[in-house]
Amino acid sequence: MRSSLWRDYRTLVGQGVKAELADLERLVSPVLFALTMLLMFAFAIGDVEPSLRLRIYLAETFLTALFALQISFSRVFEPDRQDRVFDLMRTYPIDHTGWFLAKYTMVLLLGVATLGPILFFGAFVNQTPSQSLFSWLVVGIAAMALAGLAALGVLLAAMTLKANARQILYPLLYFPLATPVLLAAVQASQLYLGSGQISPDVRAWLGLLLGFDVIYITLGLLLFTELVDES
Amino acid sequence: MFTPEDRRELFLGALFLMLVACHWFAAFFYAPVDEHQGEVYRIMFLHVPSAITAFASSAALAVFSTLGLKQRSESSLALAKATAEVGLLFTLLTLATGSIWGRPTWGTWWTWDARLTTTFLLALLYSGYLLLYSAMPAGPGRVRACAVLGILIFADVPIIYKSVTWWRTLHQPPSMLRAGGPTMDPEILWTLVVGIATLCLYASWLIRFRSGNIRLADNLEAASFEQLHS
Repeated sequence: MRSSLWRDYRTLVGQGVKAELADLERLVSPVLFALTMLLMFAFAIGDVEPSLRLRIYLAETFLTALFALQISFSRVFEPDRQDRVFDLMRTYPIDHTGWFLAKYTMVLLLGVATLGPILFFGAFVNQTPSQSLFSWLVVGIAAMALAGLAALGVLLAAMTLKANARQILYPLLYFPLATPVLLAAVQASQLYLGSGQISPDVRAWLGLLLGFDVIYITLGLLLFTELVDES
Repeated sequence: MFTPEDRRELFLGALFLMLVACHWFAAFFYAPVDEHQGEVYRIMFLHVPSAITAFASSAALAVFSTLGLKQRSESSLALAKATAEVGLLFTLLTLATGSIWGRPTWGTWWTWDARLTTTFLLALLYSGYLLLYSAMPAGPGRVRACAVLGILIFADVPIIYKSVTWWRTLHQPPSMLRAGGPTMDPEILWTLVVGIATLCLYASWLIRFRSGNIRLADNLEAASFEQLHS
């Protein structure tokens, strides 16, 4: 059982990476979308007082990341939709946990490729002469948020695969369920960048973030099988 | 015209409605006036039971969803869908009564307070569930997808309940379930407890009745589909 899980996992990840590399537009478009959004935020918000800069940086960066990741996540089964690959795979004796983990890994890779430029560019355009906004801890917090959001993203993508109007249905389900993760990530980052230290409040928000990561990954592992089961 | 089962259902519904009316009578004439808020606080007797019913509906949704996954049955899905509808109804009632209560006490109809925001989130999640149900073709795929979403929605509820203590908020902290016991007058507390029980009973009747309607509508749809293709 375990060997079949890892064999299926490796095969599916390998195929997924090949499919993504064969269609680079899918990889690049969320990043370009995110950079465009940051530009739009800059125009909409305009010049602000330096004291507000931190809050605006975190709000626009995490929101932009949430929107861009939603695009990546919602398309995670797109290659499988072609030529009814998804329906065929459901009938094959592949390990469903391995299938979920492979999709989860693909979404994590796509998420890292999207999040990296957003965090760097967001900090770059919002920095002030007296304050650099880039922080490795914020990068770590964003990675923790990505871990939970990716599991949620795979579950919702599998859930809405057969639904009509899934382009509108997916964000309608994704954004409310992603809110606790977004909130915890923004609050933890804001408290840390404001004080420069990992206070008990920062730890509390990180605990909440970790809690939701555990909930979404566990539910993903438990429920993905139910969504793709053919019986 | 009415079958004996219909009569029994209608009788039960009328009985629960009468209980709700009795509770409102107690809320207006038995519970004393609040020392600080005056008469306006009486809206709490509708607001708090509605909120608890809305949250309890998410637990019921998770139970019916889990049953749906285990039994793969459309009847569990009908119960889950009815629960989401009733949950949405009571969540909207909670938001409306909270807004009406907020105007005289906070000075505003709406603020992005933690509990208001998260309750609004719950309304969006119930709406999303109903949208997913209507966007999926009938069959085992819909049963499974809706069941998984029902369980996901339930995972969101603890954050809503705990939001008042986690965030700085305008909303008052829990007055009933708190360390050291309830802070309210016993007459107010009992009126509230009876209100919660009454509204939960009424909601469970609504869910039962509505799920019967959903099953009937599904059977009619299936029969007309068969007739069209025969």
